[in-house]
Amino acid sequence: MRIRERRAKEKEMGGNNGPSYFILVFILCAVLCVRSFAEAKIYIDITSPGIRQLPVSLHMPRTPTAREIERIIKSDLEFTGLFSFVDPDIRGAELIADIDVDATGGLKVILSIKDLIENKEVLKKRYTSNSIRPLAHSIANDIYFIATGKKGIFRSKLSYLVSTYAGRKELRLMDWDGHTSVSISSRGLTSSHSWTQNGKYLLYAEERERRWKIYILDIMKFKEMVLFSSAGLNLVGGTSPDDLISFSSSKDGSSEIYVIDIYGKGFKKLTMALGIDVSPVFSPDGKKIAFVSDRGGTPQIYTMDANGMGIRRLTFEGSYNTSPAWSPDGKLISYVGRYNGKNQIFMVKSDGADVRQLTFSGNNENPSFSPDGLFLAYDSDREGKKGIYIMRLHMEGDQRITPREINASSPKWSPYLK
Amino acid sequence: MKKLMIMLLLITAVGCAKKYTTPAETTAPPEGPVREEVMREEVLPERGETIMEERVTEKVEAPGRETVVESAVPSEEQVKSIFKDVLFDYDKYEIRPDAREGLSTIAAYLGKNKGINIVVEGHCDERGTNEYNLALGEKRAKSAKNYLSSLGVSPDRMIVITFGEEKPVCTDQSESCWQQNRRAHFLIVKSRFTQ
Repeated sequence: MRIRERRAKEKEMGGNNGPSYFILVFILCAVLCVRSFAEAKIYIDITSPGIRQLPVSLHMPRTPTAREIERIIKSDLEFTGLFSFVDPDIRGAELIADIDVDATGGLKVILSIKDLIENKEVLKKRYTSNSIRPLAHSIANDIYFIATGKKGIFRSKLSYLVSTYAGRKELRLMDWDGHTSVSISSRGLTSSHSWTQNGKYLLYAEERERRWKIYILDIMKFKEMVLFSSAGLNLVGGTSPDDLISFSSSKDGSSEIYVIDIYGKGFKKLTMALGIDVSPVFSPDGKKIAFVSDRGGTPQIYTMDANGMGIRRLTFEGSYNTSPAWSPDGKLISYVGRYNGKNQIFMVKSDGADVRQLTFSGNNENPSFSPDGLFLAYDSDREGKKGIYIMRLHMEGDQRITPREINASSPKWSPYLK
Repeated sequence: MKKLMIMLLLITAVGCAKKYTTPAETTAPPEGPVREEVMREEVLPERGETIMEERVTEKVEAPGRETVVESAVPSEEQVKSIFKDVLFDYDKYEIRPDAREGLSTIAAYLGKNKGINIVVEGHCDERGTNEYNLALGEKRAKSAKNYLSSLGVSPDRMIVITFGEEKPVCTDQSESCWQQNRRAHFLIVKSRFTQ
């Protein structure tokens, strides 16, 4: 009765559909059974050494839109290596995702995940969108979360470079599976780039008209500004949780490590050496910086405290180790090492122990961790032109995500995005 | 007549004003937002993803406005025979003994032709990694610049720029090709750098 009154009132007021939308949700909630969030069961423990695959069924309408959504969800979940798909008409699945797709006038999808062993619904959720891909990735994230208790990375993105013509590289952005590629900056030769940890800004070093500057782009507004400019070479390194940016600059002659905040303030010089200091990246907690220096005669990776003190050499094997990337838990550093005349991806604990080689054919460069630390993006020329690959770190397997005819390199994985 | 003139003036003024208020070019966002809500009480609509694309409208800054100074124009052949690339060893940025003669020739030419300034480009072979190679290329360009400066060429007449491994002259996978790419390359500008 009261609801009816309110609705009538809203109609009079002229289409403010906010409150009525809440009421609708409330009604649905009252009618439909809902997962009790207090006792969330974990179906796959991704931290255990012997990971098993969880058998899952997707039950969808047979329309083209629904099929496409199904393909994207399956491809997301399959690449984690943690799921196997069972035909919904056959027994054997532990979870079934019932996905109802209404594509008339925008996409409306209702997802219902049921635990088939305990025979109860564990999640019911509604999605509205006008584009298929982000919607399908969101559904995959929710299925992944129900199964593992961890956030999925399927809405995250990668920034990367594409060689357009001689001496030019364009900065682009794509989904984690290589789709929905968008150009960010194509006016010169782009080199290093990095995300701020809230995923709102992209930083990049680009040469335009014989000047290397560091630019900052507000991704939502698509607005670019110069963050740092000086004579010489300026290359952005990484970002800290409190929005500091580490970069290298040769403004005083030799290339040294500096920090600055995203407003261009708080400028601080951290290193003082005659040779080359480049590629500074913050540890995820912002307390340390890994960087490359030739102070020992060859390029090697060093770590230091975020104030420039406590410099320590990290790599000792080989005569060429560059491009450090810190894992999201801070425990590992991935880097590129020259081995038998080719560049390969290596992994080492952040204290310098347990060096492992991860790639073996072609040249493999520019490692970047996924926000959950389960995957590593990198570029490789093992199949001809450089392309971007994603490697699983919790089990064997990698795949190329950029088309073969495009020369793509330097992936940088975004933080978790919504 | 006077009235007519004023009106004409007003019309043209309005016309001009219109010209200058053309809005910046915009394109539609490639992806729409996804609205998600868990169907339970106290549902808050979550913020979705929208990427707005807009042409970036930053002004291009000239790399040190170049003011033209009159001087003799060197012919292309002259440039080729005098301004030869300076080559470097793998992962090194020291001037090799075999590069000294070429640099002396350049210094002598610049000594005689005061109106000519140069850009020194630093390049690397493809075997290193991109970022480190940019830093290495800059070191190579600076080594060449410093050597020329030690021979009496004013540093104000030279600017350095690095391209790392991004602009190779040769793309084969061989030592002779890599050697050609590990270079300091010279460009002649008939102007003065005001940075």
